[in-house]
Amino acid sequence: MALPANPETETLTGNGQRLHANSWRPEHSPRDLWRAVFREDRFFLVLSVFIGVFSGLAVVCFRFAIDWSRLYLLGTGVQLTRARLLLAPTLAGLVIAVLVMRFFPTTRGSGVNQTKAALYIYNGSIPIRTAIGKFITSALAIGSGHSLGPEDPSLQIGACLASVMGRKMHLSRDRMRLIAPVGAAAGLAAAFNAPISAVLFVIEEVIGRWTAGILGSVVLSAVSSVVVMRWFLGSESLFRIPVVEIRRPSELIAYAALGVVGGLASVTFSSGIATLRPRCKALPRWTQYFQPAVAGLLIGIIAVLGAPQVMGAGYEYIDQAMHGQFTWEFMAILAGLKILATLLSFVSGTPGGMFAPTLFIGAMLGAAVGGAEHYFLPHLTISAGTYALVGMGVLFAGFLRAPMTSVFMVLEVSGNYSIIVPVIIANTFAYVISRGLQPIPLFDMLTRQDGLELPSMEEQREEGVLHVEDAMQRVKGPVLDAEKPLAEALREAERTEFQHLLVRMSPSGWSSVSKQELLELASKDKGTASLGSLLGSELVPNLHPDHPLETALRYVERWPVIPVVSRADFRELEGVISQRDVLERYREFGEG
Amino acid sequence: MLEEQEDPVKSERLVNYGLWLRQRPVMLGLFLVLAIILFLITSELARVYGAQREALGTRWFSRGVAELNGKKYDAAVTDFRAALLYSRDNYTYQLNLAEALIGAKRTGQASAYLLNLRDREPEDGLVNLELARIASAQGQVQQAVRYYHDAVYAAWSSDEEWKRRDARLELIELLLGTKAEAQAQAELIALAANVGDDPAEQEQIGSLFLRAEDYEHALNAFRIALKSDRRNPAAIAGAGEAAFKLGRYPLAQHYLQMALAANPNDQESANRLKTTEMVLHMDPFRRQITRAERNAAVVQAFSAAGQRLTSCAMPNSVSPGPAGAQQTLSDQWAALKPRITEQDLQQHPDLVEPAMELVFQIERQASIVCGTPSGTDLALLLIARLDEGNQ
Repeated sequence: MALPANPETETLTGNGQRLHANSWRPEHSPRDLWRAVFREDRFFLVLSVFIGVFSGLAVVCFRFAIDWSRLYLLGTGVQLTRARLLLAPTLAGLVIAVLVMRFFPTTRGSGVNQTKAALYIYNGSIPIRTAIGKFITSALAIGSGHSLGPEDPSLQIGACLASVMGRKMHLSRDRMRLIAPVGAAAGLAAAFNAPISAVLFVIEEVIGRWTAGILGSVVLSAVSSVVVMRWFLGSESLFRIPVVEIRRPSELIAYAALGVVGGLASVTFSSGIATLRPRCKALPRWTQYFQPAVAGLLIGIIAVLGAPQVMGAGYEYIDQAMHGQFTWEFMAILAGLKILATLLSFVSGTPGGMFAPTLFIGAMLGAAVGGAEHYFLPHLTISAGTYALVGMGVLFAGFLRAPMTSVFMVLEVSGNYSIIVPVIIANTFAYVISRGLQPIPLFDMLTRQDGLELPSMEEQREEGVLHVEDAMQRVKGPVLDAEKPLAEALREAERTEFQHLLVRMSPSGWSSVSKQELLELASKDKGTASLGSLLGSELVPNLHPDHPLETALRYVERWPVIPVVSRADFRELEGVISQRDVLERYREFGEG
Repeated sequence: MLEEQEDPVKSERLVNYGLWLRQRPVMLGLFLVLAIILFLITSELARVYGAQREALGTRWFSRGVAELNGKKYDAAVTDFRAALLYSRDNYTYQLNLAEALIGAKRTGQASAYLLNLRDREPEDGLVNLELARIASAQGQVQQAVRYYHDAVYAAWSSDEEWKRRDARLELIELLLGTKAEAQAQAELIALAANVGDDPAEQEQIGSLFLRAEDYEHALNAFRIALKSDRRNPAAIAGAGEAAFKLGRYPLAQHYLQMALAANPNDQESANRLKTTEMVLHMDPFRRQITRAERNAAVVQAFSAAGQRLTSCAMPNSVSPGPAGAQQTLSDQWAALKPRITEQDLQQHPDLVEPAMELVFQIERQASIVCGTPSGTDLALLLIARLDEGNQ
């Protein structure tokens, strides 16, 4: 007998059948069908497709805006003039600062935390002004050469559009809370051209839990946004994927080394943000008008000094690194400079994302480590492209602390499953090192710096879950048999101190009875009747040891004692659980 | 009063209208309309965006081509890179960038681009040819041969068929350079089968056959070349050399004399002719000569072999004697010397064979110990080989 999913709508009859309060009725008439479609849970799925379409369109336009900004601010070629390199990010920084300070104060930063805040604090509400501001300021920032990426802003734009649509549709509060992540997945999927990674990231970092209700919507919105994006921009990935080759198992050691280097780089990067961001925010308010400009000027100087690759999202340079266009020494320098440039852009409050810089740093670092290993150990048949790909995952795991997404992102981008083992090995090393040296993940750190207290997804993932087996007690009293006469049951009950006793029903199921009830039945002169025939048809739900303890909470108030039975044999009693046991266990858990 | 009566109706209508608008199906319909409108706007933006990128790509590509033609490889690389910003997967842009990178001696980067192109189109002849050249320059012979083969059997357009021939010629050069004569011969035979009677091409093939030490095919190629141009000095000299190497000395003499007549400064042909004439003159086994002439030739050869023994010290050089005893060549020569006169030979013609056999042994051994001889000794060595071939 399985556990009823919802005790309010589901009850168990004596013979173990379930009765639903809202029984399913066939929907035959057009009116019924119409109503069925617009029932909120189904309607939410339809709305998710629309959210995906709108987010996809917005992201396509966002990409146009970034490219046009780049063309008009930095020029059309690859060898940019010094004047443009210095002036474009500086002047754009000034304009961005004015826009952010005066008109769009909610557009600072990457946008991931703002989406989480919408989910957990603002009941899914994000003003449309945020999307407009994010679109304009991020396009200007990335196009002018600030070291930021378009993915996180796309995520926020998607979330914002979804929020607006949800408000227009007057969704319930529960649905409204969930609608921002649905839009976020759509925005991210379109920006990254990778729907699986987007869905995973949103589940892993924004929602923090897998539920069937939200998963369908998130997937639908992500897929529809990617379809729209590919309609306009084609299906080509952000970079050309090189041939992935892993010839010897011994090469996995080399990838472990990459994981260590990536972990340390992640810690350096996030420590830089942890140190510099609060200091920049603590500076007088008027300086915030100039911080993006100063950051832009410094990035321009880095570019003039010989590393223009650090400007903007840098996908074209990731592509070149993957195809052996740079020496490993230069790529190592680029990785360091990109960390510096991204730190400058991000801590100055310039709107823009961290995904692309993270991928850039990871790719450069990966290819550099691979190149160095090949230089010192020439027998290793290492391709720079494979290392760059793995390196991207490494930084994703170490810096953004999204271990699942980091693995699937590399798989989805490369389309090659042979890379999975090196990715898992390298990512694990990076994640463990980063987790050990920097206990607070980046997104949690940013929310705390902003004075918010959002749930930490990492803590949630690592949080222990109590199960029924943690609270259940051994069966101490007798178990009555429903086939036996009442008189015999009463005799057994009188020999024990327990007030409530379990009754094993025939052919299956459990019931309970108190001593008082037995005495009352006996006083009605029914001593020869079988106990089962005297009890009502309602059965006690049974639990299994692996059930979450919170499941037991649903029943312990109504039934004083609940049987915990084996999954192999529902008549075999493994223990019992009562309200007192549950509360006692929770109290112990809270204390320590 | 009238307005006051109308207002509630109007406001009620407005409220109803608002409520109607707020219904989900209506909102969904509005979203659909809005999506279509935005889709159309985005389409137009995409068209403008695409056209602009295409124009920019073409502009940078044209500049790159101009720089490449002017052999300004670094500038061409920059321009092609800029072009690729706007059309990342453009095959032509990438191929030109690779060529510019090769010109700029950045073969590692060029190779990366070419390998990417090869992944996309494994049968592209030009890509394989460039990869072969890079591999060849880097001393990766096996890879180079593989790429050259792919280039040779690639799908070239009809107006680029000459590139297939060039690819095979480069492959042959590579094989000859790495002493893989047998492979080179096979490639040359395939090449010769696909070349017409063009004298220049046949002369080139003949020269390559000579280098591959396939003299029969070389002679054949030069003869075809000479059919169209009887006075082609290179082809005549080549034919002479091929005939000389084949040991067909009368034919070699014919061609070499023609070669000298065509080009009196051809020193190689002159030397070869001199040797040829010596061979023809000194060979005692040649046909249609008198016994006296043969005896004189034997005496001359024996004497030359003795001088060769003196000039080339051959310690412990031994030869199995007639009775199986080990004797040095010098001992044998010294033992036979008194009997090798024209009179003795006249009386004992059976001495010709052992005398010349000893001469050939001496010349062969000396060539091993002291290197390839010249003059009379060379002629005797060639006669020895000729004799060996006849036997």
